[in-house]
Amino acid sequence: MSESLSSRIAADFATTAGALAGAPVATPRRRAALETLTAHGLPSTRDENWKYANLRTLERLRFVPAASAAAATNPSVLAADLPPALPGCARYLFVDGLFAPALSAPQVCDAARVTSLAAAAPLAQAAALQSAAWPEPQSVDERFLALNEAFATDGASIHVSSGSASIELLFVARADAQAGASYPRVELSLDAGASLTLIERHLSVAADNSFVNSAVTAQLGRGATLQHYRLQELGARAIVFDTLAATLAEEASYQLHGISTGAQSARSTLNIRLAGEGANLAMASVALGDRQQLQDTFALVQHLAPRTRTAQTFRGIAAGRARVAFNGKIVVANNAAGTDSQQSLRGLLAGADAEIDVRPQLEIYTDDVRCSHGATVGKLDDHMLFYLLSRGLEPDTAQRLLKWAFLQEVIARISLPALRREIEARLPGALQDTTLRALL
Amino acid sequence: MTAMLNINNLSVTVDGKQILKGLNLVVRAGEVHAIMGPNGSGKSTLAHVLAGRPGYEITSGSVSFEGLDLLKLAPEERARAGVFLGFQYPVEIPGVNNVYLLKAALNAARKQHGLQEVDAFEFLTLVRDKMKLMHIEDSFLSRGVNEGFSGGEKKRNEILQMLVLEPKLAILDETDSGLDIDALKVVAAGVNSLRSPARACVLVTHYQRLLEYVVPDFVHVLVRGRIARSGDRTLALELERRGYEWVAGEAA
Repeated sequence: MSESLSSRIAADFATTAGALAGAPVATPRRRAALETLTAHGLPSTRDENWKYANLRTLERLRFVPAASAAAATNPSVLAADLPPALPGCARYLFVDGLFAPALSAPQVCDAARVTSLAAAAPLAQAAALQSAAWPEPQSVDERFLALNEAFATDGASIHVSSGSASIELLFVARADAQAGASYPRVELSLDAGASLTLIERHLSVAADNSFVNSAVTAQLGRGATLQHYRLQELGARAIVFDTLAATLAEEASYQLHGISTGAQSARSTLNIRLAGEGANLAMASVALGDRQQLQDTFALVQHLAPRTRTAQTFRGIAAGRARVAFNGKIVVANNAAGTDSQQSLRGLLAGADAEIDVRPQLEIYTDDVRCSHGATVGKLDDHMLFYLLSRGLEPDTAQRLLKWAFLQEVIARISLPALRREIEARLPGALQDTTLRALL
Repeated sequence: MTAMLNINNLSVTVDGKQILKGLNLVVRAGEVHAIMGPNGSGKSTLAHVLAGRPGYEITSGSVSFEGLDLLKLAPEERARAGVFLGFQYPVEIPGVNNVYLLKAALNAARKQHGLQEVDAFEFLTLVRDKMKLMHIEDSFLSRGVNEGFSGGEKKRNEILQMLVLEPKLAILDETDSGLDIDALKVVAAGVNSLRSPARACVLVTHYQRLLEYVVPDFVHVLVRGRIARSGDRTLALELERRGYEWVAGEAA
């Protein structure tokens, strides 16, 4: 990172530190995060897990939070610009990183406590969780989490003590990147046996060129179940750096569904720790790139206890001059006997100038494991294409249908029908035929 | 009566190797033609070339279909003009529902004829009707195209597609291969149900067994890229008795 970038971050922090004092992150933690950033900088493309990320763009971004209380209490975000409400889900909406109660539809629920981070003290364990999450202290992979920590304005704290809850978090980016950045933040905590369905959605309204730095931490207690849908649908010129850190206790189950279609440049860094015996991760994600988009994901999964399981599926399509990258690293620690890990990473090249990089990595420190991985990048299958054409389908329809089919392995796992229909309607799919579906 | 399909002196190479060598064939509406021949004689090449599969080079000759220059049309245009290829090896397409493909294919054909898209309810009634004829279970509709189907199921699915699309000319490429006798009868019943004075069918087959159930008007024997002998259905029986060596020897 250039000198000027770290000094700009420090300067932006100095101008906003007063306004940021207190919630959602305590001042000492903000200062510690800033110190990490000024001492070690943000990642560069020389760092192993960052070679596809678009980091140059940071040189022309501002780090001051764009959030303003006036905007959140009187948002010009129109309900019409928002996706339809999902049945049975409480909705909490944030504008440029600040809670907007007027556009939220909370539901009283005994199981879950949802708090605006700015309005309440952050969860005590969040700090400890973060520093324990990465394999080595002050890993370069957690720098954007530190950036969020330093500048966060608000966020959602969700604590599910028992039973189950369904919650939708909408993060609306509205500010022009020149006006400042948006720092969405989610702190999740599920007690033993608790269950949560969470839809986390990032989208743009008004400006399509926002700078978003989002951070999610999740702690799943013994036997807890988290069904997590992450939808990145930001505007065409938006820049997003996203970090997720999750820790699973014994027999906890985490189903993570990622659908990344938006932004000019998107980077997601995931670190999931299977820390308790029998913890289970099912991760399925889709990334679509077109034009000059970049969709870059680095996912680190750490098997730290016996009998832990991972099933990781990635499907990426790159069209136009887009670049789609998925780097899935799975580490099996020496005490993680009986681990079962499966990776299926596939890329589809849909443009002569497009690029896809899928990279499975395995680091295994014990003998008693079952690990399989497959990684392929290819074009649409000629035999399939000819079969569809021979039935009279237009080439364009046939290609869209095959892209649709390519994504189905991930999309079919979305178990919320309303959400699935909505996502399907916006994929490069074909034959949206709700009447037919209803009759079957 | 004018010919529906007129293949004139057709020569085709694949990867520089000549497969069809000046083939002539005339098919009129209402007729069923069987094309038989030993392995490697060019039967499947002929079927693929008529459907417009890429990878074949036409070095000479012409094919007209209902007055259209068939070889100039893209595969999807041929399909919409009424040419149907039943694949020897139907392709599995996981993630694309059978029912979506059927409906998209039917609507593509209807659009060609200036008709509106088919109503979903009418469509399902029609498809279920044809499925019954082909002994296909209802769960088939929501499964992926040919996904996990047995060989016999795939072939029945080909015929189901044909019944829904009602092509003018059906070219069935070894639809009988790999079928047990029960499945063969079902497939034959499907093919026969579409026989009419307005339609024609070209059956590409290695064995004469299918021809006991779908009785052809003409039988042609393809040897080394040419039709070496033509006759009526008794030719198939004679072939069964005497083997392809008999015709191959004559043609040499």
